[in-house]
Amino acid sequence: MEFVGDNMQRRLRGAPFYAVLAAATAITLVPIIWVFASALKSNKEIRENALALPQEWRFQNYIDAWFGASFDQYFFNSIFITVASVAIVLFLSSLAAYSFAKMRFRGNQLFFFVFLIGMAFPLSAKLGPLLSLMYKLNLANSRLGLILVYVAGSLPFAILMLRAFFQGFPQELEDSAALDGCSRFQFYLRILLPLSKPSLMALGIFVFMGTWNEFFQALLLINEDSKRTLPLGLTAFQDEYFTDFALSFAGINITAVPVIIVYIMFQRNLIEGITVGSVK
Amino acid sequence: MAHSLGGLGKRGPGPRVRFDLMPYLFILPAVVIYVVFNLGPVLASFFFSFFKWDLLAPTTEFAGFDHYDFILNDDRFWGALSHNFIFLGLAVVIPVSIGLLLAVFIYEIRRGRVFFRAALFLPAIFSGVVIAYVWKWIYHPFAGVLNPALELVGLGAFTQSWLGDHKIALYSTFIAYTWASFGYSMVIFLAGLQDISTDIFDAARVDGANFRQKLFRITIPCLYDVFTFVITLRIFTAMGVFGVIYILTGGGPFYSSDVIDIYVFRMIGNFEMGWATAAATVNAIIVVCLSTGFIKWREWRSWSS
Repeated sequence: MEFVGDNMQRRLRGAPFYAVLAAATAITLVPIIWVFASALKSNKEIRENALALPQEWRFQNYIDAWFGASFDQYFFNSIFITVASVAIVLFLSSLAAYSFAKMRFRGNQLFFFVFLIGMAFPLSAKLGPLLSLMYKLNLANSRLGLILVYVAGSLPFAILMLRAFFQGFPQELEDSAALDGCSRFQFYLRILLPLSKPSLMALGIFVFMGTWNEFFQALLLINEDSKRTLPLGLTAFQDEYFTDFALSFAGINITAVPVIIVYIMFQRNLIEGITVGSVK
Repeated sequence: MAHSLGGLGKRGPGPRVRFDLMPYLFILPAVVIYVVFNLGPVLASFFFSFFKWDLLAPTTEFAGFDHYDFILNDDRFWGALSHNFIFLGLAVVIPVSIGLLLAVFIYEIRRGRVFFRAALFLPAIFSGVVIAYVWKWIYHPFAGVLNPALELVGLGAFTQSWLGDHKIALYSTFIAYTWASFGYSMVIFLAGLQDISTDIFDAARVDGANFRQKLFRITIPCLYDVFTFVITLRIFTAMGVFGVIYILTGGGPFYSSDVIDIYVFRMIGNFEMGWATAAATVNAIIVVCLSTGFIKWREWRSWSS
C-alpha cells in the first residue's frame, strides 16, 4: 500500500518536469514538422494560410525540386565527399593515434601538441591562404580538394579521441601479440581496430555529421554547380526559387532527410562521439 | 626502408640505440595532410598578413602593419567584432542555461529519457544552412509562421520584420542559433550528470533538499569541469558563427548583423587578401586568448578553492 502511495507521489512530483520537457520538445519539433508539412502544400495554400496543414499531400514539389534543380548531383557529391572523408579520417587518425598512444619515439609529445594546436584556431584563420593553395594545386573546385580539407580539419579531434581510447588498452595485449610474431601493423589491423569498433563508430558518425553539414569551406572552395554539396546546392536553389515557396520547402527537406535518417539509426553513437571529449 | 635505417643505427658506436622508423611512418600521412591543408594555411595567414598580395597570391613585398592599420580603423571591422561579442555574451548564458535545465529535467524523470534527449537534440544535427532556411521561413514577412502565430495568441503587437529591422536582425539570428545549439550543451551536461555518484543525490533527498538546493549546491558544483567545456565550446561557435547569419541576413541590413567571419569572407571575395588575413589573425588571437584564458582561469579557480 505504502509502495503504491510512494509511486503516486513520485509521479506527481515529476509532472512539472514533463510539462517543461514537452513544451521544449514542441519548440524543437514544431518548426521541423511545419517545414515538412509546407512542402506538401501548394503555393496558394501557403500564401493564404501559412499555419494550416496541407489539404492534400502534393509530392509533386519533391519531384520538381529533385529533377528541376540538380539535387541528384548535389546528393551524389555530398555522399561521395562525406564517405571518403570519414574513411580517410578513420584510417589515418587510428594509425597516428596508435603511434602516439603506444609507441615511444622522439617527438611523440611534440607532434601530438602540433595536432592539438590546430583545434585552437577559428576556421577563418586559414581561409585566405587555403584558397590560394587550392588554386595553386589545382584543387579548387574539386571534390578531392574538399575531401583533403575536411580530412585535415577532422584529424586533430579524431587523433585526440582515439589516442585517449588506445591508451586504455593493456600493454600485455600488444606484448603477447608480438610474442606470437605479430608485427605492429598486423596488431593494428587485426587486433586494435576490431577491438575499437564502438569508438570508431562514434567518431565516424560524428565526423560524418560535421562533414555532411559543412558549408563555409565548401562555399569558399567550390563555385561550379556540378561540384556542389547539398548545403551549398541548397543555397543556390533557394536563391533561384525563393518566390516558389513550396519548392523551397521541398529543397530544405531533401537536404535534411539524410541527416535525420542517420540520426535515427545512430543516435547513440553520435551523442557518444560528442560527449566523449567532454567528460574527462 | 625501415630495415636499412635500423641497420644504420646499429652500426654506430656506443650503446645500441636502434632508430625506430615505424612510429613516424604511422603518423606521417596524418601529419602531411594536416600540415598542408590545416595548420600550414593558418601559419601562412599570420605570416602573409604582413605582406602585400597580388589577387590570390602573396608577394614578397613587405607591408608591415598596413593591413592591420586599415582594419583597425575600419568601423565595419569593429562593428562585426562587437556583434560577435554580443553573440558570445548571449551564447554563454542562454543556450547553456536552457541546456543545463533540460538536462537536469531529463535526469529527474523516469520514463521517456531517451525520447526527450533525442527530440530535444534534433535541431543540432542539421547544417547551419538548413537551420537558417527553416528560420528564414519562420520569419518570412508574409509566408512565415511567426507573425501569424503571434497574432493567433493575441500578441499581435509583437509582430515585426524580424530580419529586416536593423535593431533586431542580430537577435533574430541568435534565436535561430540558440534553437540549434542548446541541444549540444544539453547532451554534454546529461553525460556529466550521469557521472555524478547517485549517493550524493540520495543523501540530499534524505536531508530533504529541494530542487533549487540540489541544483545550486550539488549539480552545478559537481559539473564544474563540464561547464568549462561547454562554455569553451560556446566561445568557439559564437566567435566563429557564419552559416546561419550569412543565409539569414548576409550581415545586413546595413551591416547590423555582420560578424567577423562574414567580414573575412567578404574581404576574400573582393580579393582583399591582406585585409582578410589581418582580420582573421586578429580574430584568431582573440579566440585563442579568450579560450585558453578562460580554461586557465577555471583551472586556477578550482585549484585555489
